[in-house]
Amino acid sequence: MTAATRKRKPVDEGGTVFDRELDDLPQELRWREWMRRVEAVLFASATPVGRDDLARIVGQGASVEMLIDDIQAELIGRPYELAQVAGGWVFRTKTQFAEAIKAAAALGEQTLAFTEMEMGVLCAIAYHQPIDRAGLADIFGKEISRDLLARLRYKDLIASGPRSPRPGAPHTFVTTETFLATFDLQSLRDLPEPELGGESI
Amino acid sequence: MTYQLATILDDLTTLPQLPAWVTSGRVETPETVAFRSGAALTVLDQLVSDPRYGVPAKLLANRLALRAATATSKLEGRLAREADIRDAYHLTPPGEAWGPDGDLLAFWRAGVRLRVGRTGEIADFVGADVAGEVGVWLDAGQERARTHGPLAVCASVLRAVLDADDRAERTACLLSDVVLARALNWKQVLPVTAQRLTKAALRDLTAEGQGADLAVEGRILESFEESIRLARDLARCAAALRTVAPKLRSKGSAAAVDLFLTEDAVAPSSMLSPRIRGTSIPMTDRAARRFCDRLVELGVARELTGRPTFRLYGIAP
Repeated sequence: MTAATRKRKPVDEGGTVFDRELDDLPQELRWREWMRRVEAVLFASATPVGRDDLARIVGQGASVEMLIDDIQAELIGRPYELAQVAGGWVFRTKTQFAEAIKAAAALGEQTLAFTEMEMGVLCAIAYHQPIDRAGLADIFGKEISRDLLARLRYKDLIASGPRSPRPGAPHTFVTTETFLATFDLQSLRDLPEPELGGESI
Repeated sequence: MTYQLATILDDLTTLPQLPAWVTSGRVETPETVAFRSGAALTVLDQLVSDPRYGVPAKLLANRLALRAATATSKLEGRLAREADIRDAYHLTPPGEAWGPDGDLLAFWRAGVRLRVGRTGEIADFVGADVAGEVGVWLDAGQERARTHGPLAVCASVLRAVLDADDRAERTACLLSDVVLARALNWKQVLPVTAQRLTKAALRDLTAEGQGADLAVEGRILESFEESIRLARDLARCAAALRTVAPKLRSKGSAAAVDLFLTEDAVAPSSMLSPRIRGTSIPMTDRAARRFCDRLVELGVARELTGRPTFRLYGIAP
């Protein structure tokens, strides 16, 4: 009964019905179809897809985690894997093929190439967030250009955080979920321990 | 009884307080911890559950949430101070990222708003990684609470969660608070577990170290004592604020006083103006600032940050 009400809802919204439950298929085929759907969605997405989004394309009772486990089992031996990053899942090639991919060099603009300074600023923000431009200037001994910060923000690696309680109420910067996904971190606790030199900071 | 006895609030010495024999002396045996925690929980339960004592429940929960955030920040190795966490949370414009510190406080503030009985809601809240086991942990905790008492359960829930994921300190502490609230039949989660815990104590707990349970229980007992002290202080502050409330004649002052009785830090520029939060009563920026200054003048509020700008106010004796 609940299934019926649920199915009726999209019709009211005017679109075609998306059949989540697949009640007409036998158990085993239904599971395979759900696995394929999850795989297709992840394949089509460049960014990690969260659990809630995946739960929307499979039946109510289906466990996304178990579907993912089954997909991962099928992918053993492939050069790519289904990895869990930043609260979602994403397809990516295994690291041992990095050299081969670089040699093919057809990556174009999708790489996140960083200059040394960008990387430095990103690290400073990651460890000292929330931090504003004045704080970054204290660390680097010079003003950090707004362009550089804008580039990092454009790549969605940093975002505006709380206002700093200083005159002018400047924005502070914090890292984003994309930052975690890019550097393969589950949380900020996975950042390597900073090696504190004698006079640094 | 639908009316309130007028004499109760006049005599603040009637607030239940912790007998001296609970706080004196050190924790040595499981028996003393269990016995003292029984006394402490009785007092805390009275303060929290009986509206006659005038303890502002939401304010207490929010204040404890801030303490829990500070404590879990330490447990997670970020070492943010209470002031940093409060600033990160309150100075973030709507729609922008809180950052790790503000996120942590947001987690605890949302945690105290969870409905205690809703296992599904709690499971959704703590995240997909452990959602499947939350029901099991909570049920096992309730079962154990019946046989071993609430304090022992806190330790066992902490251990169960940390065994599953040793980085889930905040989840472990929150679930322990939920089990405690269920055992004591509280309507609201009060974050008391995290307050005094240390990394070392938790490490011993998961490593099944000798006396680890006792050490953790001792720390949670200390945190009960602190919470009682806090509840009594807040009841006194709230009573003082309620006494001067009729003297405040600015527009919307009743709603603003209510806000002070629920929020531990009030930013005049964003929470009182242009509209008093949670109401549609308008207040200008200037009126908001003057209102807060007036409360400080009357001695019922305090500026929390010590800054000349971006001030935050909270109630004070």
